[in-house]
Amino acid sequence: MGSDGAALAARLARRLALSLLTLVLLSVVVFAGGQLLPGNVGRAILGPLADPAAVAALNHRIGADQPALATYLRWIAHFAAGDMGESYVFRSPVAPFIGRAILNSLKLAGLAFVIVVPLSMAAGIYAALHARRWADQVISLAGLSLTVVPEFVSSILLILVLGVWLRWLPISAATRPGSSALDQLQHLILPAMPLVIVLFGYIARMTRAGTVEALESDYVRTAVLKGLPWRVVILRHVLRNALLPTITVIAAQSSYMIGGLVVVETLFRYQGIGSLILTAARGKDFPMLEAGILAVGAIVVVATLAADILATVLDPRLRSGGSR
Amino acid sequence: MIRMSGLVGQLRRGATPLENHFADEFVAGRLDRRGLLRQGARIGMGLPLLGALLGTLDPFAMPTARAQLGNQGGGKPGATIRVACLMPSDAIDPVTVANAGGLVLLAQTGEFLAADGEDLVLRPALATSWTPNADGSIWTFALRPGVKFHNGHVLNADDVVATMDRLTDPKNGSNALSVLRGVLSVGGTKKLDDLTVAFHLDAPNGNFPYYVSSDNYNAIILPADYAGDFEKNFNGTGPFKLDSYTPKVGASFVRNPDYWGQRALPDRTEFSFFADQQPQILALQGKQVDVVVQLAVHGAQGLLNDPDVKLIKLHGASHRQVHMRTDMPKFADKRVRQAIALTLDRPALVTGLFRGLADVGNDSPFAPIYPSTDKSVPQRAKDLARARELLAAAGGGFAATLTTERLQEIPDYAVLLKNACAEIGVKLSLKVEDQSAYYGNAKFGTSDWLDAEIGITDYGHRGVPNVMLSAPLLSTGSWNSSHFRNAAFDRLVGQYVAAIDLQTQRGIAKDIDTLLLDETPVIIAYFFNYITAVSADVTGVRPTAIAQVDLQNAAIG
Repeated sequence: MGSDGAALAARLARRLALSLLTLVLLSVVVFAGGQLLPGNVGRAILGPLADPAAVAALNHRIGADQPALATYLRWIAHFAAGDMGESYVFRSPVAPFIGRAILNSLKLAGLAFVIVVPLSMAAGIYAALHARRWADQVISLAGLSLTVVPEFVSSILLILVLGVWLRWLPISAATRPGSSALDQLQHLILPAMPLVIVLFGYIARMTRAGTVEALESDYVRTAVLKGLPWRVVILRHVLRNALLPTITVIAAQSSYMIGGLVVVETLFRYQGIGSLILTAARGKDFPMLEAGILAVGAIVVVATLAADILATVLDPRLRSGGSR
Repeated sequence: MIRMSGLVGQLRRGATPLENHFADEFVAGRLDRRGLLRQGARIGMGLPLLGALLGTLDPFAMPTARAQLGNQGGGKPGATIRVACLMPSDAIDPVTVANAGGLVLLAQTGEFLAADGEDLVLRPALATSWTPNADGSIWTFALRPGVKFHNGHVLNADDVVATMDRLTDPKNGSNALSVLRGVLSVGGTKKLDDLTVAFHLDAPNGNFPYYVSSDNYNAIILPADYAGDFEKNFNGTGPFKLDSYTPKVGASFVRNPDYWGQRALPDRTEFSFFADQQPQILALQGKQVDVVVQLAVHGAQGLLNDPDVKLIKLHGASHRQVHMRTDMPKFADKRVRQAIALTLDRPALVTGLFRGLADVGNDSPFAPIYPSTDKSVPQRAKDLARARELLAAAGGGFAATLTTERLQEIPDYAVLLKNACAEIGVKLSLKVEDQSAYYGNAKFGTSDWLDAEIGITDYGHRGVPNVMLSAPLLSTGSWNSSHFRNAAFDRLVGQYVAAIDLQTQRGIAKDIDTLLLDETPVIIAYFFNYITAVSADVTGVRPTAIAQVDLQNAAIG
């Protein structure tokens, strides 16, 4: 067990080092990509019709006219020291913008996961247990159909039906400052629904596939044959193995759930990190763009790492390192 | 009536020649009531004379009342008005703001020397009156006494001088430079006494008061010691003061009890920022907001017949300009440009693209709403036979690439233009780009907008046509995407800008229109309405075609 622990620690350390390298590379890619975007900060602020001299003067005033590479190196040095820098466009520190947006995104993604994971896993397991019967067909088909509905379609439909016609739920995800957790939750239900719709079919199918595979495996047959109660077989043997692909899927979806919800954020007027990054890219707001993308990158890295650890805990084969 | 005439006569004896000129125009019927108000306001005609001519004690009460919807200003005080507006795309700084969301917020707590209403009539605001010298090169403004900023500072001439110098000093990179360059330079604003300033202009300008009115949305008057931190306190002089502001989320304002004018009706206003139009419409329909500041007809068709929503429609000068490179072989012959202009069915464009919420244009920046527009100039209409004739005489059909931007109805307009041109044998292929790609660096040689052989560009509303006559059409114009160089036109624009009296302005406008119809460097087929949507039970919301919204008299129920 001791060597197991050491192997796990070494594995984690290696993963962590790789993750840091990934983030550094990511910052370089964002910097290089940012150079390709047309226009400049002053132009983005003053608009296309502004006088070139006014644009140049404004760029100088906000410090956006410095050489790009020098800006990047200075920024990364400050970032390493814990200072995210100041937004060109908003002329104030970046950190509160990023912090608020990340928190918002986490709230929305968290709520969606809390709804969709148990729901879709239950559906997937139920479908697997009734494989090739009508319940299975309905769950699989419905899940697949829902997954391909784009968020802008499902969002608009949900807003129209539940928000405009029935007026059951508030349309806007944003609440007044200082509102209660319950109030915030109420505002987030509608925006979480399109995400649930997109993810339900995906996770349910993965769970179903994992469960079917587990059900057909030798160890389950052994467990059944040695007389274990069906409930125990499902919970201890089937579910544990069926969870593995599901966890991977959830981890893989985290970047989408945190940084890729621009459409949902726009439609429900929610200030998440996705739209923050988009507007930063449009405005060539370099410090905001770098910090935003690195923040999302960091979350994805953590999510992947957490999924790895969870998988290791669930699957003893991964723990012994290389015996697989 | 006789008694009134006697009073008018008395007042006219004490009036300036210019004031008497407009009085004559009104009496002769060449100027209607609204026109008299507009012109009188522009040159700072005395209120007693204006009132006497119109037969009312408070001449400015009339357009104000007309603008109000439903109960004429008798709304209940104390409402909270919830407003949806576009998200300001950068810091709220009056010096730099150049976007729709930002300028809406500026005008909530900030005020201008004069306010341009939805009817293009200037009303006194922080200035009580203004007068030009004989040639319109110096304008003297009297400031309102006893006006307090929200931080307690009392407005004086130093604040106005500092504000104008801040906007005109090139090193500040102000957005207002695009309006004020060549009109007013740094140092041109001079304090005469604590409550009087004189603007010494770069060149005579008959419409100057519009340049320091709400029309120039950057020109809100700030204290002389303004440190660039407007966003912290929104320190202005207006009827509302800041309650809270959260970048990218929203802002709220409360009534200013120390306001110099009539106190605001609402207790509170709450602005929510939206990144797009569709969610604003849904929020209005879902009763989450009471007002949507600005709507494009394109994408808002669903609201046009919604009984729960009232639309406030303002005629404006916002338009799209089809520009053709007069210096390139394909479009160098003016007959080619005339032929293309003759292919368009303008009334059909107004109906098809705007559900009728637009005015037909006559290939000139003189929109029908401007009082100086000469309506006797014949309207260009679709005439394919004549178009084919002109094109044949100029060498026949050809192919070209039309470059434009992805914005509201423009891509649809481009397709309609392409189809219309195909009828006379001009084959257009379309290149529709993202806005930032289209405008590029906004410098000649590096911008599709300025370099394309034929293109379509969006231009916003202005209270006077001056900027639209100069920047996109003068030989030296920095937005001259048709590369139009015409000495006669340049001379006429110079004369128009300097002209103070309406009759002269209108005469020159006619000459300009005639010249532009002949040369056709640009096609302006329509001027679309500015639309504000409010819930059916909301009254007293007053938008301007610049996209500001005045909520001072807003009420619910």
